[in-house]
Amino acid sequence: MRRATTLLAGLLAILPAAAVYQDEVGHIDYHYTLLGVPQRETTFFHRPRRDDRASLLYTLSDEGVLGAVNPGTGAVVWRQQLSRSKNTPNEQEEEEKGQQGFARAGEGENWVVTGYGDTVSAWDAVGGRNKFWTRYAGKIKDLEVMELTEVEGRKDVLVLSEEDSGATVLRRLNGANGKVVWEFRDSGKDVPLQVSTDVAKVFVVSLRGSRGAYNLKVSSLDTLNGKRLDEWIIGTKADVHGKEDVQLVGANSAAPIVAWTDDAHKVLRVNVLGLQTRQEFPLPEGTVGVEVHAPHLVQSQPHFLVHSKTATGHRGEVYHVDLKNGQISKAYDLPLLPGPGAFSTSSNGANVYFTRITQDEAILVSSQSHGVLGRWPLKNEDTKAAAVHAVAEVIKKSGSTDNFAIRAAVVTDADEWTLVQNGNVAWTRPEGLSGGVAAAFAEISESEELARTLEQEAHANPLAAYIHRVQRHIHDLQYLPAYLSAIPARVISSLTGADVVPTAGGKLQRDSFGFHKLIILATKRGMVYGLDSGNFGTAVWNQRAFKIPRGSKWDVKGIHVQEATGETTIVGANNDFVTLKTDTGEIIDAKAPSGEATTQSAALVNTASGQRLLRIDHVGSIGNLPVDQAPKQTVVTQVSDEDLKGVIFVADGDTSYETTAWTFSLPKGQKIANIATRPPHDAVASIGRVLGDRTVKYKYLNPNAIVVAAANAGARTLTVYLLDGVSGQILHSAKYNGVDASKSIECAMAENWFVCTFFGQYSLRENAAQSLRGYQIVVSDLYESDEPNNRGPLGDSANFSSLAPIDNPDGVALPSVVSQSFVLGAPISALEVSQTRQGITSRQVLAYLPDSHGIAGIPRIILEPRRPVGRDPTPGELEEGLVKYFPAVEIDPKSIITHERDVLGIKKIVTAPAVVESTSLVFAYGVDIFGTRVTPSYLFDILGKGFNKASLVGTVLACLVGVLMLAPMVRRKQINLRWSAPM
Amino acid sequence: MRLTAFLLPLLGTPRASLASQQAHQPPLLQTTVTLLVAPSQQLPNPNSLPPSTRATLSALNKPYSSAPITLDNTFVFHNVTPGSYLADVSSVTHAFAPLRLDVVRDADENGEGLTVRAWETFRGNEWGNKGEDMVRVVGKGGVQGGKVVEVRCLGWKGFYLERSKFSVLSIFKNPIILLSLVSMGLFFGMPKLVENMDPEMRAEWEENQKKNPMNALMGAASGQPAANPMANFDMAAYLAGSGKKEDGNGKKKR
Repeated sequence: MRRATTLLAGLLAILPAAAVYQDEVGHIDYHYTLLGVPQRETTFFHRPRRDDRASLLYTLSDEGVLGAVNPGTGAVVWRQQLSRSKNTPNEQEEEEKGQQGFARAGEGENWVVTGYGDTVSAWDAVGGRNKFWTRYAGKIKDLEVMELTEVEGRKDVLVLSEEDSGATVLRRLNGANGKVVWEFRDSGKDVPLQVSTDVAKVFVVSLRGSRGAYNLKVSSLDTLNGKRLDEWIIGTKADVHGKEDVQLVGANSAAPIVAWTDDAHKVLRVNVLGLQTRQEFPLPEGTVGVEVHAPHLVQSQPHFLVHSKTATGHRGEVYHVDLKNGQISKAYDLPLLPGPGAFSTSSNGANVYFTRITQDEAILVSSQSHGVLGRWPLKNEDTKAAAVHAVAEVIKKSGSTDNFAIRAAVVTDADEWTLVQNGNVAWTRPEGLSGGVAAAFAEISESEELARTLEQEAHANPLAAYIHRVQRHIHDLQYLPAYLSAIPARVISSLTGADVVPTAGGKLQRDSFGFHKLIILATKRGMVYGLDSGNFGTAVWNQRAFKIPRGSKWDVKGIHVQEATGETTIVGANNDFVTLKTDTGEIIDAKAPSGEATTQSAALVNTASGQRLLRIDHVGSIGNLPVDQAPKQTVVTQVSDEDLKGVIFVADGDTSYETTAWTFSLPKGQKIANIATRPPHDAVASIGRVLGDRTVKYKYLNPNAIVVAAANAGARTLTVYLLDGVSGQILHSAKYNGVDASKSIECAMAENWFVCTFFGQYSLRENAAQSLRGYQIVVSDLYESDEPNNRGPLGDSANFSSLAPIDNPDGVALPSVVSQSFVLGAPISALEVSQTRQGITSRQVLAYLPDSHGIAGIPRIILEPRRPVGRDPTPGELEEGLVKYFPAVEIDPKSIITHERDVLGIKKIVTAPAVVESTSLVFAYGVDIFGTRVTPSYLFDILGKGFNKASLVGTVLACLVGVLMLAPMVRRKQINLRWSAPM
Repeated sequence: MRLTAFLLPLLGTPRASLASQQAHQPPLLQTTVTLLVAPSQQLPNPNSLPPSTRATLSALNKPYSSAPITLDNTFVFHNVTPGSYLADVSSVTHAFAPLRLDVVRDADENGEGLTVRAWETFRGNEWGNKGEDMVRVVGKGGVQGGKVVEVRCLGWKGFYLERSKFSVLSIFKNPIILLSLVSMGLFFGMPKLVENMDPEMRAEWEENQKKNPMNALMGAASGQPAANPMANFDMAAYLAGSGKKEDGNGKKKR
């Protein structure tokens, strides 16, 4: 019986879903499988199979995604998102902040090991499956593979972590199963930096001292049991400024070194680990940054390269370490070249090669001498991109001695990842599109010229306008031959179902269905992209708004597209903003981020001077504004986790003064978990709902209604308030018991209904012995009164007012709320409601499934609070489309709009209406980019791919043939009828 | 110096937070849970599952816990504290049945050990409603005495809708079309047959036709007046919705 119920519920979920057809895949949707921008220390070529020479390119990106890329094609072989260890977006963001990931691979091993946050995982290098994973208290500070262990053929993993108490813990994990071999613990308050190992010892490098004046402390440990052998401090003067300055390179090599610079980048200090002395080398004048590159293999020669960057160029110096006495000597210089460049180290047995990528060539040198082994000019059309860092693989071709082939994966300053193979660009991955923080749809601006001439004609006198128009048409005739010649191709492509991209001379144009829109996407690295939604999300333009330093992120609070002026404004948290041209990405005005985050959010308001984004600071105040910039509406701001307030502006002279209209304080213990409002474009086709018995329930359509979800972590309750944003009045509230505040709580609102999702575990009210648990979704419909055909206290009035409510013995007219909750088959996040032009099409609740990496479109008809409970629907209810209530809503695969695609790390979904009513454009961003068109009520107003044009033409032709054949027969019969004698 | 270094870890333990205790002071109140995807009819080769397949354990106010699929088609959860969990396996390609997973103190070993019990559960149903016991003992490779919790694969996820294809044959498969074809054949063929009969036989046949009770029904069609109850049907009155019932009843009585 129970099985039957679940089965039925599953079946029910299948019924009304509008799914994807296989032939639409890649036609209506597009997906960028992204990793994030690769990091210098965690990107490498590695051979996943010992006997196979083929290598894969591995990276752990700044998004916390570990991925393997086929270096030949640039396609992702497998991915694992390491950053998703927490359930709520806030917590996750908190964790991602300043998070450092580590990825290493043992030479010749078939696994890759990563450390991220508090978790160490080893992954199968070929398939990406997990080998083992463990979690430790504290944060992982460094991770290294021990190439040589006492067990033949096994490589172990060294994990350095810092516990919350300040203790430094180093663990050696068995590379085969992840079990701890030994553990070294140091409760001193030193800042653990790095771990390194040479053949005999393990070194732990940490910082001792206070902020700004540290000394390097090195502990050497026994590789077999982790006992401390020795401990020393390098140098006497506290000359290390911070942990960012210290670089440790050449772990596992014969002579691992640690290097750091002074503040002014004048001297480079180098210590060969194991020695107590340091050696100093002067850096070239005007150095702004230093990187040290060294090989990672025991058998490689102990050489390293110092890459010093100046404002205008870069240079390299190669040093050799004498293994006997630890003396470092400079071998040779690589000349200063203008522009930025990147170096990378590759080793091939004992030989060490350095690859230098500059703006126009790739140069290969050996660590032994400065003789250039190979030089490949870069055949790169996009000359702007400069290499930030690179990894290279050098293959010595057999036969000749000096014949080399290189391939280098280069990260450019445009956040792209490019593979350069002997100077040719093999592929480019647009990794910069990952890490989206804000996106908005923008209309493609119509040809300005046409608009202007039309306007001109409208204003001129009729005769002049007529002449002008005729002239314009004659002028347009020159496009006629091109148009005519394009017709056959169009006809054929429309018959075969191929796509016609309406681009006139490379310029973006609107299409009649409204599928072509620009998506403005801002990423956390300070880049802004313009993507064409109708053309598979190809980037029309990209623009760097700000240079965001590594490790921090561009905290965008608001994005607003001003259609009238064709400008897009993006407001950030650190008092920064940028205004761009929507169609070209050209920056009109910008203010760089300041050091301090002052903005809590940005609200889009109507002012006397048009729509603007308004900054709201951390305590919910806006400040006084000039009259023309002051909002006309009430602005609801969040004062703290517990309070909201409504702010209005009162004009006095030229200045508008901020005045608090109302405040809303939550009861003690409750904290705001989520706030939802109706989207700015929320078309409502009908003000009522016609029931099966032809009566009407009138929708409660309050444009100012806000849903506030407040969670009480202690009492494990969730209270959902419906507020009127103008008066601050509570219109409705509902309390749910047994709600986990540490898991994601999200709400979405549209029209006259809202949904909230959370994890609940509680006993039923009717029967306390029965309990329930799982991810749930609660849907609430708002109506004007409980009874149909009755508008309640509102009566026949066309308008209602939040401030002067209709008199009612019980107070303000409150909406009648019908709610129902459902248990979901999977947790969902990033809730969004589909939008169509006129709101006639039924809605879908779009939500990301963080566990199965897809986006589900849950039809509103399933999330229907009026579904009859415990009985079969009456014929009237069936007519309305109501089916019997079942508590479980399984996420039907047919409702997953991303179908088979593995869409990773979606943070937010945005929707926009198309010109055709049936369709809503969807764009999702986060780690990956995904866009599609959804048709919740099926494609009813245009002919989709399912419409077989060939068979239509065939039928018409067949009819024609039939008519042509029958016509003589009929004529003959008629003639016979006239001339033959009557029977 | 050495001594302090040796002592410090010992001293550090009681002061350290609970979390760190859990990390290096193994299993007082924690256990390892292993979920296994075994080959089944729905999923003959679990190795084909994508590497993004993960399992999660969720319970009220317990930290989010998620494990990736391993090479042995298992999901390993470390440091699971006692409680009752909802275990879900999510994959892009296949659907799995949810489980109820209870980690309880062992009654035998002085309450020190932990036992894992697992049943199938039904979403939207009562939590106490338990299905099949899913704890299995596997030969080797499993943890804690080879005990693993097996997850049941419900099947492959079908994401796509099939387009209805037009085909001439499909028209003839329709029974209504077949029936109408037969009746059309009769309609056109009968007169021809009748025409070809010799006159005597024809007269006989027509006589038979008149006697045949079936003819009463066909009467309206062949233009012969007959006692057809439907002949008197008043369409206008029916559409107006008035007197339909009485009329019909009256006729039947008559």
